[in-house]
Parts: sequence; structure tokens; C-alpha cells
Amino acid sequence: MTDERDPPEIPLEPFPVHQPESPFPPLYESLPPGPEDPPSDWIQTADAHDLAGDHSTERENRLAALSRFAFPSDLPLDDDGVAARDRRWTTRTVVVISAFLLVFNAVSPLNWSRQQAPGWLQGTVQQMSEVWVAQLAVFGVDMPRQGVREAWMAAQDARFVGQEPVSTTP
Amino acid sequence: MLFPTLAFGIFFLFVYFTAWSLDRENGRRKLFLLLASWFFYAQWDWRFVGLLIASAVLNWAVGALIARQPGAKKAWLVGLGVAVNLLILGFFKYYGFFIEQAGDLLMRFGWERDLPLLQIVLPVGISFFTFQGISYVVDVHRGKTPPAKSLLDVMLLMSFFTHLVAGPIVRASDLLPQFDRTPRLTRAVATYGLLLIVWGLFKKTVIASELSVNLVDPVFFDPSAYGAVDIAAAVYGYAVQIYCDFSAYSDMAIGLAALLGYSFPRNFDQPYRASSLQSFWRRWHISLSSWLRDYLYVPLGGGRKGLVASCINVFITMLLGGLWHGAAWTFLAWGALHGGVQVIERLGRAAFGDRKVVPTVIGVLVTFHIVCLGWILFRAESFGLAVAMLEGLGRVGPVTVLTPLLLTLIVGGMAMHWLPPRAIEGVAERLKTAPSLTLGLLVGAAFLLIEAVRPDGVAPFIYFQF
Repeated sequence: MTDERDPPEIPLEPFPVHQPESPFPPLYESLPPGPEDPPSDWIQTADAHDLAGDHSTERENRLAALSRFAFPSDLPLDDDGVAARDRRWTTRTVVVISAFLLVFNAVSPLNWSRQQAPGWLQGTVQQMSEVWVAQLAVFGVDMPRQGVREAWMAAQDARFVGQEPVSTTP
Repeated sequence: MLFPTLAFGIFFLFVYFTAWSLDRENGRRKLFLLLASWFFYAQWDWRFVGLLIASAVLNWAVGALIARQPGAKKAWLVGLGVAVNLLILGFFKYYGFFIEQAGDLLMRFGWERDLPLLQIVLPVGISFFTFQGISYVVDVHRGKTPPAKSLLDVMLLMSFFTHLVAGPIVRASDLLPQFDRTPRLTRAVATYGLLLIVWGLFKKTVIASELSVNLVDPVFFDPSAYGAVDIAAAVYGYAVQIYCDFSAYSDMAIGLAALLGYSFPRNFDQPYRASSLQSFWRRWHISLSSWLRDYLYVPLGGGRKGLVASCINVFITMLLGGLWHGAAWTFLAWGALHGGVQVIERLGRAAFGDRKVVPTVIGVLVTFHIVCLGWILFRAESFGLAVAMLEGLGRVGPVTVLTPLLLTLIVGGMAMHWLPPRAIEGVAERLKTAPSLTLGLLVGAAFLLIEAVRPDGVAPFIYFQF
């Protein structure tokens, strides 16, 4: 016990309201202004609650679900993957064109072989081409080509009314 | 080895598969393409592969030196590089012509001398690869393109077989950046390339060959034997033939390069739609006309020094452009015609401003006929034959060589200028989504159709001689 008087009582009810002043300036004034927040990507019309909304009541077709489970779709391709896929597609196209011409245009290697000097390669190509051309003729596969050629030659021979047959060596 | 032949088809298939199998090793891929290009060029004359290599080494060395030297020496180096390129071109292409002219001149003055005439074989495509070399050296000097990272790049730039013998003149700034990375191939580009090859094959082997063999060659050989209709048909036929021949080569070159993953600039843009000669040269052999503009017309002063100077400059440019096509007075006259008409157009624009004095239809017709007049000089082997062709236009006579088919080809060749400007790109955009089997069968059927109607054998492309 002392004779001194008690200091004025800090009111405690309901909570302390007195806050001693800080000797330091407020922190935010000493810092440079920070970057602004990016624009919000909040979509007013979208709501997380939507996710559990109507879709939850729809049931996926069981067959579709089974197929999705059995044959999961690939992950999206990166640039290299896209390039490789396009290259494979091009290569398949080139192979189809080459095979198609090899089968249906055997006259071309035959003509080529006839223009070359005699030799093993020339002879081999000529014999194979002749056999192949003959086989195509048996099945009538050469008919479209032959038909187009004959039509073209008929067009070449056509003349204007009253015109004499062409002579390129006057 | 011509593009529309079986041998080239097999060669290209081998190059295509090997090049793409090396897609993860760009350096080896480029080396393989270079060796393939030399093999391709050696099919004409293997000795000139050495010339090609020497020319590439020269330009690479000059480009590297220019990049390392201070300002004043650069000008000397670029001058040296250009001079050596022109010396190579001049020796192989113009030596005989100038010696012959000098001999004639001396004889007129009574100083007849036996000048050293040499039988010089003209290397195929020399005009194209020397122009590429010049553009590389000058572009490095101007800072438009950095010097190539390796000799291999310059060699491939100048030797790449798709553009080696008849263009288009692909500049270093277009191609060198593409050599830095392994090329990518997309469906759109591949489809576009395939369609360009088919279209080019059709134009060359069907239209150009048919017109050449059955109409143009016989009439230009002896114009006095034909009447006005045949001669006019031969002149129009040659206009269509040279377009279908040269643009076909460019189309196939662009298409083949596209299949290997490289992009070349467009070289033709429906030239007979032009309503002035200035416009014509923005549509015809674009890679040459832009080359002449950037490396000849602009250094001469271009249009910076007034109207008279610009007229003189454009005339000189076209005159030398004519000489580039061949060492003959007829080519010079062809260049002078194009230069002279462009001078008149410039004077007209200076007098009337941008006002449209002549309707577009009239402009297109007049321009086309001036171009046809030029083609007579271009095709005729002498001035005498050119004059005989012009005289024959006034001669009445029976129609002997013109047939309904040839007339259809002439009309068709002209009509293709009025197709939508980017028709092939549009078709490629639609076809790129097709399965490979469908597209392969379609393209294969188109090839078969062309093979069925084309004449036996293939004449060399007209621009090979330049």
C-alpha cells in the first residue's frame, strides 16, 4: 500500500479504446506505390455454384462414358507434335500419289525406258513396264487414260468449218 | 533433268524422304540438300558445279569481309563483289556477243582483225545465281541481311535445286533466316505445294507445249507462209505460251520448296490484267523486276532527282533488263520498248496527275498489245523475222495452223488471268482438311489426266536459256 493516488483507470469496458500513438510513421506512406491489381477475370454471369447446378441433374450417356473410359482422347499436341502429325499426313499423301501413278501410269516408265540407251536398268524397266501395261490392258484399267488421250487427239485433229487439214510445215 | 520428267520425279521423292528423315539435324539436312542440288545441276554439265561453288565461296567471303570492315573499305568490297559477279556473267553470257559486235565495228572502219572468238557454253541458270550473289553482297553491305552464319548457307542459297536454273530469284533475306531452323511443314503449305505442282505441270506440258509445237514455232520460223489470222494467233499464242511456261516453272519451284518446308516469294500475279506497263512489271517475273528496282534503278538515283532523271533511270533499267534476257539486239529492242513506254506513262502521270484518263478496260487492252508487240521482238530470232511477223499481220490468207483446240487454249490461257487472285490458296485451304488418301487420289488422278494429254517428251523451259 502507498499514499500515492492510483493513476487514472483505463476504461476496460467493453474493450480498450486507447491506443498509444506510434512513434513511427505509417508504413504505407514510406513505400512506393505497388502495381495495380490486374483486371478481374470475374465473369458476372458465371458462378461457381453453377457447376453443381443443372449439370448435376443430367446423367451422361452410359455408352459415351464407357467409350470415353475405354478410348481416352489424347492430350493436345504441342508444336512439335502438330508438325510431326502434319508431316506424316503429307508423307502419306505423297506415298498415295506415287503408288497411284505407279499402278495406273505404267506407260510413263515404259516411254522413259524407250528413250534411254540400252543397258541393264533400261532393259529391266522396259520389260517390267511392258508386262504391267499388258496386265492393265487385260483388266481394262488403262481405258480411262486411253479414252482421255483419244479425245484429246480428236480435239487436236478438229478443224474450223471449211478449213483444210493442218500443215505445220508449209 | 527437267521438272516434268520421270527422272526428276524419282529424284525428288528421294530428296523428300531423305530430307525429312534428317529433320532433327538441320546442318546435315542442309548439307544433303546442297549435295542433291549439285547432283541436279551436274545433270546438265558437271563442270559448271565448280563455277557454282566458286561463285558461292566468293560471295560468302566478300559478305564476311564486309561485315568486319569499317565504313570506307566496305564500299570497295561491295564494288569488288559486284564486279566479279558481273565479270563471271559477262564472260559466259556476253563475251561472244560483244566480240562479234566489235569485229563488225572494226570491219566497218576498215580495221578488220581476227578477234579471239571462243565457243563458250552458257551455264544453265547463270543469270539467276549471279544475281542472287550480287543481292547477297549488296544486302549485307546495306545491313538488310546479316552475313550468313556459314559457307554452307550461302552455297545452299545459291545452289538450291528448286530455284537454281530458272528462278525465282530468292534473296538472302528471304531464305537465310529459313535455313537457321529446321523447317516446319503444315497441311496448308503441303496442300498448296502439291496444287502448285499440278497446276504448273498442266500449264507447261499441256498449254505451253501444245501452243509451242503446233502454232508458235512453225509461224515464227517462216512468217511469210502464213496469213494475218495465223500470225495474230501465233503472237497471242506466244503471249500465253511464255506465261504458261515461265509461271509454270515458278509455280513448280515454289511448290517443291514448300514440300521441303521452305517458302519462296510469289513470282507472277496475273500479269495480263495490268492496265499499264508499270503495273505489268509489278506482276510479271516479280523477283526480277524487284531485283532490277532495288539493285539498279534505285542506285542509279531512282525517282529522287526529278522527272527527267527518273525517266532516264527507268529507261536504262529496262534496257539492261532486256540485255539480261539475252545477248542479242532483239532483246535490247524489247527492253527499249518497255522502257520507252514506261517513260511515256511517267510523263503522262506528271501531266495529268492521278486522274484516270483512260478507262481500265482500254488500259488493259492497250498494255496487253504493247506487251505482245514486245513478245514478237523477244521471240523472233532476228529483226528481219520480227518485221516479217509485223508485215504478215496485214496479209490476207487462209487459216492453216490455228485450230479450235489451239484457240481454246489461247482463250483459256488468257481467262486464267481473271480467276480469283488467290484461287490456289483458296482451294488448298479447303482441301487441307481432307484425308491423305482422298487428297492423294485427287492429285494422282490430276497427274494421270495431264499425262494422258501431254505430248511425248518435254521441251526445255524458255527461261533456261537466260
